[in-house]
Amino acid sequence: MNFREQHRIPDLGIGVGFRPKHAKDVLDAGGSKDVAWYEIVSENYMVGGGRLLDDLARLREAYTVIPHGVCMSIGAVDKLDEEYLARLKKLVRAIDPPYFTDHLCFCKASGLDLHDLLPLPYTKEAIEHLVPRIRHVQNTIEKPFALENVSSYLAYKSSEMTEWELIAEIAEKADCGILLDVNNVYVSAFNHGFDAEKFIDGIPAERVVQIHLAGHTDKGTYLLDTHSDHVKDEVWSLYQRAIERTGAVSTLVEWDEQIPAFDVLAREAALAKKHRDQVLK
Amino acid sequence: MKLHDLQKTFAEALVLPKSIAEDAKWRSRGETAFTGNDRVTPIGQLDIYREQFWIRHVNCLREDFPVLLALAGDEKFEAIVRDYLEAFPPKKFQLRHLGENLADFLATRDDALLADLARVEWAFIDAFDAPDAPPLDPTTIASIAEDDWPNARLVLHPSLQLLRLAYPTNQMRDAWWADKDKRPIERVERAEANVVVYRHKTMLLYTEVLEALPFEMLSLLAAGKSLGAAGDELAASTGRGPEIEATIGEWFTRWSALGWISLVL
Repeated sequence: MNFREQHRIPDLGIGVGFRPKHAKDVLDAGGSKDVAWYEIVSENYMVGGGRLLDDLARLREAYTVIPHGVCMSIGAVDKLDEEYLARLKKLVRAIDPPYFTDHLCFCKASGLDLHDLLPLPYTKEAIEHLVPRIRHVQNTIEKPFALENVSSYLAYKSSEMTEWELIAEIAEKADCGILLDVNNVYVSAFNHGFDAEKFIDGIPAERVVQIHLAGHTDKGTYLLDTHSDHVKDEVWSLYQRAIERTGAVSTLVEWDEQIPAFDVLAREAALAKKHRDQVLK
Repeated sequence: MKLHDLQKTFAEALVLPKSIAEDAKWRSRGETAFTGNDRVTPIGQLDIYREQFWIRHVNCLREDFPVLLALAGDEKFEAIVRDYLEAFPPKKFQLRHLGENLADFLATRDDALLADLARVEWAFIDAFDAPDAPPLDPTTIASIAEDDWPNARLVLHPSLQLLRLAYPTNQMRDAWWADKDKRPIERVERAEANVVVYRHKTMLLYTEVLEALPFEMLSLLAAGKSLGAAGDELAASTGRGPEIEATIGEWFTRWSALGWISLVL
């Protein structure tokens, strides 16, 4: 039995990130037939009360909601923040999602919170550091946990393997899921000159619980993962290659900067469905 | 490079305010740790993250302090918040907390108006996501014997933010948000103001300007004083005991109606 079967991870279809700007469109105007589920940024809802939690409760009544963290800092050498985990657990309990996600990276260092998804070196040391931490998080939150590959703009001389080899080994040893961000694969492949298709082919498909799609920005000498635009054609192609391997897996369109009107986002979700359906049929 | 060392390198580099791409010492460190490629040098790769650190945090403060930004102008605002971020680098995981020391920071720069404007804008952020609390149950009031009121303690709604301002910058904020054309903002003259920012049960945020006497009373109650102790203390400090006694009932009714009182203990 593979990871998805073991944890009864459902295929939710196509979702988008729920942003306060779209609250009226989604909660009052009924959303869109092209958007089947929503993802939230966990930390934005780890607050005392107010409109955000009110909206979240309404969203949860109508849709499956997946909490997606950006601040766990699973790869930091600093101790895991148990207070953070307690607050995340409270949120996860309130939402009761089939799984929760964060990033394979570090965000904290030397007592600072750098608020970025900073890349780890692809080393045995990193694997040994990460595996018990991932197990601890998964055991604490008591839900399946999936980690996302990040976009990166630098490569370490100390790396001993490829990124996809690192992810595969960590997922196997920690027995966790993978959130495969296809745009991040494309961005990192361009920035570091590796073959994006090899990355897609090297990920253990049975552990992929969700796929992310997003737009990026060409900065001339590198690509920046900005989530500020439509998904690029090359990323759609990679997405279809990923779906060929994973089968029907929940897919999410992210758009976090220069956030468009909800109908634009819903059309991007419809496009994702079209690409996915082309492969699945 | 070991995990500990490389993460320390990130923490050192990202908070540097200027590019490190041409810095000889950093170039050497970069060549040791990072591969670079035919388009970006090794230290240039780290500098991408440094640049993004500043863009992200400055933009976050732009979003959290739009009226301060409108008043100061883009260039001055960026200079202020860059100095602020150097003095108060981010240490909390939620970006929501990034600007929590900005008003105090501005006060140390001897700019009381900007500091008060930052305090007002920050009060709205704190009120926005403060814990919820139910409104006061009217049966609670009816159940309290008259003799017990002096010992009663009020639990105020967690969203309440009590601001003693040297400048009524709440007026600047209200004017800016009400102006659809976002015309240049006008500075207010110095004039003390006692302002309460709070979240209504509709989840909308409001301000209420109070006279000094009820504001001081509310502040004492917020500090945990009983009604009797707060009234006595205020009477002693102001010499306005009879006035307090005559109007406290009105204050209580008004504060209850606004949802400021959650519980009477």
